[in-house]
Amino acid sequence: MLIVRAPMRISFVGGGTDLPDFYRRSPGLVLSTAIDKYVYVAINRPPLVREVSARYSIGEMVDHPSMLKNDRIREALLDLGIHSNIEVATFTDVFVNAGLGSSSSFSVALMKGLYMSQGRRMDKREAAEAACRLEIDLVREPIGKQDQYASAFGGFNIYRFNPDESVDVIPLRLDYKRRLHFERHILVFFTGITRLASSVLAEQKAGTAKNFATLREMADSVLEFRDCLLRGEFEQLGRMLHATWMKKRTLASNVSNTALDAMYNAGMEHGAWGGKVLGAGGGGCILFIAPLEQHAAIREALRGVAHAHGLGRFNEVPVRFVQSGVEVLVNGDSTHRVIPS
Amino acid sequence: MEEYIQNFSQHVIAALSDLPKEEIAKALDILQATYERDGRIYVFGNGGSLALATHWVSDFNKTVFSHHLDKHSRRFQAIRLPTTEEELTAWANDVGFDMVFAGPLHNYIQDSDTVIAISSSGNSPNVIKAVELARRYKIPVIGLSGFDGGGLDPLADAKIRIPSEKGQYELVESVHGVILHLMTKYFKDYFDYLAEQA
Repeated sequence: MLIVRAPMRISFVGGGTDLPDFYRRSPGLVLSTAIDKYVYVAINRPPLVREVSARYSIGEMVDHPSMLKNDRIREALLDLGIHSNIEVATFTDVFVNAGLGSSSSFSVALMKGLYMSQGRRMDKREAAEAACRLEIDLVREPIGKQDQYASAFGGFNIYRFNPDESVDVIPLRLDYKRRLHFERHILVFFTGITRLASSVLAEQKAGTAKNFATLREMADSVLEFRDCLLRGEFEQLGRMLHATWMKKRTLASNVSNTALDAMYNAGMEHGAWGGKVLGAGGGGCILFIAPLEQHAAIREALRGVAHAHGLGRFNEVPVRFVQSGVEVLVNGDSTHRVIPS
Repeated sequence: MEEYIQNFSQHVIAALSDLPKEEIAKALDILQATYERDGRIYVFGNGGSLALATHWVSDFNKTVFSHHLDKHSRRFQAIRLPTTEEELTAWANDVGFDMVFAGPLHNYIQDSDTVIAISSSGNSPNVIKAVELARRYKIPVIGLSGFDGGGLDPLADAKIRIPSEKGQYELVESVHGVILHLMTKYFKDYFDYLAEQA
């Protein structure tokens, strides 16, 4: 048995510029951090069970991986030539489709785990590249590359997506005090609305040409966001997020909706410096940067809005930033075997 | 005599005023990540570097947490290699001196771990052997070297090199000592701060 986990992420600025329609014309830039919410993947190779088993929100057991409904597990197994005697199960800390990049965290953990099950080790970059290939080339999701890299690498980084498909990872070296102070100023709520990132991104992708100027401004704002973060100017960071969110809302008709707008406005009216809906938009989690003394009022206001809209699964998501990316928790290879000479 | 002392201290001051800050920051982030996944940190070197390794292990495992020994759910797991003189002599005598670190490292190494290799020349064959093993496991390597960095510097993820003329061991080892203490102090301050904020 192998157990691998990969962190989810909070993306602050530059989302959307990691789509090929943008970065092939002009380099994309995204600033994000990994958080202490994880997707776990367990992989077992039972010697006496020939079937292929996948356990996630449902359970599947089939004779050949090509029969699996779960597209990521199906394509990964077919690609690696694993056709029998395998169980893949996943566990997650937060609902999927919450805007925390969990689908890609799953792909990163899955690829690292499947490679390991074949006795091959992957470093962070290899895991990120393998997950991108799985999701974009094999499963043909209309998504970008930021989530796979954020999950594989961990920590606070700027990702630069180059026209030649290469990705530069530029770390932000925040000392513990700056990191913890920033963490304390952040509020994250699960809105209770879930959506498929691909549904929002499909429309956004179709509009990339039309939105090119807006996306370019978003990419440009990444370096300014970094400088404010390194200086600890949290109020300014909030104001920047607010300005960016106002622009992002215009990228696709389904990036926001009435309930989301009501929640965002409630946060702003109760003293937040700024915020955004996380991930592609349309639902999932909402983030605010706010002065500490306003946190209680913002919590209360959002709870009220969620109640009024009948969003029973609304909840606060306490987050901490983490430095470690994808990691092997249990390596069943440690059971003894004689290595053939 | 005073002039000699002044000269020596000028050399050390020059090296200290030009520390590889970005690489040290990278090393701190690697240690932070290793702590989060409860991995182990193996540290080793020859002669004075082995003494630095042993000193650092004591500080990192205990001193970092001394102010609040019972307040943290988890501590660092820093391990000096080899852990006993018996292993050192057994590997050296039976297999070869180039295996005194790589041999014991192979006993412990897991995917969540990290290695700190200390070699002023960066060319000690036994240090390089252990670092190559770490790289095969794709675990992070923090390399503390001097002179021109030797073979260690290009193999390390965090390349902490103290540039100096060949043979200036006293200078390089002194500055390595300062950097290792900086690592200890950083995490001591961090864990003190966490405990005091809680």
